[in-house]
Amino acid sequence: MTQRYDRVILLTAVLLILIGLMAVYSSTSVISPDVVKKYREKGIEASQFDFIRRQMFTVFLGIVSMFAAYKIRLEYLKRLAVPLLIVSLFCLLLVFTKLGISGGGAKRWIKVWPSTFQPSELVKLTMVVFLAWFISRTGYGKNKFLSFAVPVAIMGVFQGIFIMQPDFGAVMSLGLLTILILFLSGTRLRYLLSLGIVGLPVIVKLILEPYRWKRVLAFLDPWKDPQGSGFQLVQSFIALGSGGFEGVGLGESKQKLSFLPEVHTDFIFSLIGEELGFIGATAVVFLFLVLFMKGVSIAKKMSDPFSYYLCFGISIMIAIQAVVNFAVVTGMVPTKGLPLPFVSYGGSSLIVNMTAIGLLLNVSKTAGRSWSGPKVYEYAKLNNESRIISSGHQRQEPGALKWQRGYGYRWCQNQRRKDLQQSETLNFGR
Amino acid sequence: MNKRPLILTVAVVFGFFAIALRLVDIMLLNHERFSEKARVQQLKKEPIPVKRGIIFDRRGRELAINLDTESIYCDPFDIKGPNDTANILSGVITQNSDVILTKLTGDKRFNWIERKLAVQSTQKIRDLKLNGIGFVPEVKRYYPKGELASQVIGYVDIDNNGLEGIEQRYDKYLGVRNEKTRVLRDAKGNILSDGFNKEIRGNNLVLTIDEGLQYILEKNIEDAVLRWRAASATAIIMNPHTGEILAMASIPTFDLNKPSEASAHQRRNRAVTDCYEPGSTFKIIIGSAALEEGIVSPEKKYDCSAGYIEVGGRRIKDAHRHGVLAFREVIQKSSNVGSIKIGLSLGKEKVYEYIRRFGFGEKSGIDLAGEVSGLVRPLERWSGMSIGSISIGQEIAVTPLQVLRAYSVIANGGFLVKPHVVSEIRSPDGSVLFKTIPEQKRILSEKTVNTFREILKTVTEDGGTATGAAVEGNQVAGKTGTAQLMDTKTKRYSKDKFVSSFVGFVPADNPKMAMIVVVHEPKGQIYGGVVAGPVFKKIASESLSYLNIPRDDSEEKGLLLVSGKVYQ
Repeated sequence: MTQRYDRVILLTAVLLILIGLMAVYSSTSVISPDVVKKYREKGIEASQFDFIRRQMFTVFLGIVSMFAAYKIRLEYLKRLAVPLLIVSLFCLLLVFTKLGISGGGAKRWIKVWPSTFQPSELVKLTMVVFLAWFISRTGYGKNKFLSFAVPVAIMGVFQGIFIMQPDFGAVMSLGLLTILILFLSGTRLRYLLSLGIVGLPVIVKLILEPYRWKRVLAFLDPWKDPQGSGFQLVQSFIALGSGGFEGVGLGESKQKLSFLPEVHTDFIFSLIGEELGFIGATAVVFLFLVLFMKGVSIAKKMSDPFSYYLCFGISIMIAIQAVVNFAVVTGMVPTKGLPLPFVSYGGSSLIVNMTAIGLLLNVSKTAGRSWSGPKVYEYAKLNNESRIISSGHQRQEPGALKWQRGYGYRWCQNQRRKDLQQSETLNFGR
Repeated sequence: MNKRPLILTVAVVFGFFAIALRLVDIMLLNHERFSEKARVQQLKKEPIPVKRGIIFDRRGRELAINLDTESIYCDPFDIKGPNDTANILSGVITQNSDVILTKLTGDKRFNWIERKLAVQSTQKIRDLKLNGIGFVPEVKRYYPKGELASQVIGYVDIDNNGLEGIEQRYDKYLGVRNEKTRVLRDAKGNILSDGFNKEIRGNNLVLTIDEGLQYILEKNIEDAVLRWRAASATAIIMNPHTGEILAMASIPTFDLNKPSEASAHQRRNRAVTDCYEPGSTFKIIIGSAALEEGIVSPEKKYDCSAGYIEVGGRRIKDAHRHGVLAFREVIQKSSNVGSIKIGLSLGKEKVYEYIRRFGFGEKSGIDLAGEVSGLVRPLERWSGMSIGSISIGQEIAVTPLQVLRAYSVIANGGFLVKPHVVSEIRSPDGSVLFKTIPEQKRILSEKTVNTFREILKTVTEDGGTATGAAVEGNQVAGKTGTAQLMDTKTKRYSKDKFVSSFVGFVPADNPKMAMIVVVHEPKGQIYGGVVAGPVFKKIASESLSYLNIPRDDSEEKGLLLVSGKVYQ
């Protein structure tokens, strides 16, 4: 019996994508006379539909990718976890080759006809898949140093490449994502703390780069230099603030008229705030919150660790991207180049996040029922001889074979937790 | 139980909550502050090219119109090679390359180079494709008739603000400057408001001035100034019934399209801004007052045979010695002695009352900039000889318009009218926004007016002072005036500087126009009847034929209304 996917997640994501299309159209439909002139010199007539047309094509690609992710068997995905990570590493390294495209003093994109692709977005998702696989492996131990060191080392490699690009936003978001998932998995706090102690000087060193330091200063007091380093933040405040409660009206934004830099990408939330007001802005925040809470509640129903970590990891991935983006545009953290998932203009982020939603929907099919993978056996040691004491399949009911986080598979028969810990059962494969 | 998922979930939810609080702070609590900042940066104060309203004469002929021009400016920041640019520009526009160079190297990022050039010459500059040179379409005010009615119409400054005359007085109607001066712009300064590209038009004005009459008036008083080598002259034609100014001119005059080349002397609208002592024309006040008060009849006799009279120690003479004159003859022959005797019998309170009743000492209320009220001394400051001086139009300062208005009272049957030059304000689409309604106030009885009109008619008849003002075919009623000018150095009346004037209306029994002609400092001849009278005659006869007003003895009298389109 196949269960239905979670409709709330799909609905929320679709709503966010629709709001995104609207906001992208609003922010790009008024073309600056300068741009029109520049295009005309090249013999191209700028159209108000240039951006929205591309974004809609991206949404189409995203739907294809989302459907594929929805259909993929989780067993295959598990096996693909490492290859996917290697592929994304490879893509990331392509940035430094001839295929790489620079923009704004950073090499962050690769050329994929007819457009560009930002590998750092892909890395986030493949890292989540990898971590879900890695943590759900039987050899994973929350107290084992190696189980902590391997993901951290992989994270470090990626971060090193990000720094070379440079893409500080990606460094921070990947680090945050990895550490949160490791935290979730039960890794010893002292490992995480020591990581912080080691990482802190590096972060400080990076922040002291002049242009980043300027951003930090601008964040601390944007009004000190409203025409210079604080410009973007001040313009974002003006956009949000002038929106008020009801907003200035759909399509009526004035800040999009070249006042607010990156209005269609990283700062699209400011435009939503200006046009739709406090109501619209909090609605967007609320939709992301719903997405996160729903993702977490699905994760809790998961009966296998891979699905659990995948589900929780994707929820965290989307939520922290959203929260960090909100925090940037509202001046709560220094400016970083991070798009708002589903909403901002930009293909890579949209496709990757829609794929993530596909995976979430995929996993949600199995919520509420027991592990539906291959048959699982539980062994017990009897007279120095392993014996199958039970086999579990689909049903999940009190007293059935259950997977418990941190313990692996075990037979639970309405016993209290304390008793379970003392039970004779063994972890799968141990 | 593992607490970490819960901790993580709570942390993320807390993050969302913090964002929501921050949004409350920025979007709700600081809404006003940021809205103001948004308004300031998004809406820029841009002078919108307002097409000023067109000024028409009473028959719809254009007196002031607009031309599409372009102004060029530079942004010194973007200039490449200021010296070369200056040299190239000086070849196209009439400016020294050094002057241009200082503009090209200024500190400000916006400097005008030349304002309001013809589009043909800016196209030449545009074809040169110079860096840092920009173009702004602007509207230039143009006066197709040049000098015609220049002091009445007035002119505008480079930014189309009205500076004089009707252009100043009706600036807010012609210019609509207060509307939509803030336009939407983007961060790069590009103007995005639709309103900016739309043409904003001011309201049109329809004047009471008739271009044809104005031309006749100007031509004749200019001839008079040349003939009498006078310092200046001014004349007004008014419809005595409604107060509509049909023509108003002052010589010397100037070209409205080159106001900066004109002196203040030329720009002054003497008809309303210059005061002079009216002399004998003022005797109308004494005469009509005496009639109205019933202390005289036309035939009442005054002994003027002495040729002089002494009032308050001052001896005032007649121009010629007369015998015993009837009241009507006192006016006809303009006897000073007779007038003073009438004035004395009225008493100074009555004289003062009638002066004020005729509107002297206060502005007529004409809708032109710069009108003065003249000078009438309050009663308590009159000296012993004041009653004598004032009875013959001295010791009092009036404007030509005030005098004309006083004579219109006789012309129209006893009403003081309010002069005006604008009859209608029309919106750009042609609908009438405002129409001047003539104001009038009865100040004399019809009986007095009729009697006095008969007396004024005799002035241009044989035995009167202004036989030269008589028009063939239509009877003229009027009065001459010859006043000595006060010598500013000696503070005494000058022996050789006079103001000659003639004021009257025609046709006398059915006045269609009231007119005053004032000539300042004519040389050779001084008397109003000789200097100003013939000018009056010439203007009147040309105007009457221009207006198709039939002769008094014509059978067409009933068809007078044919000219109704002029006089409504």
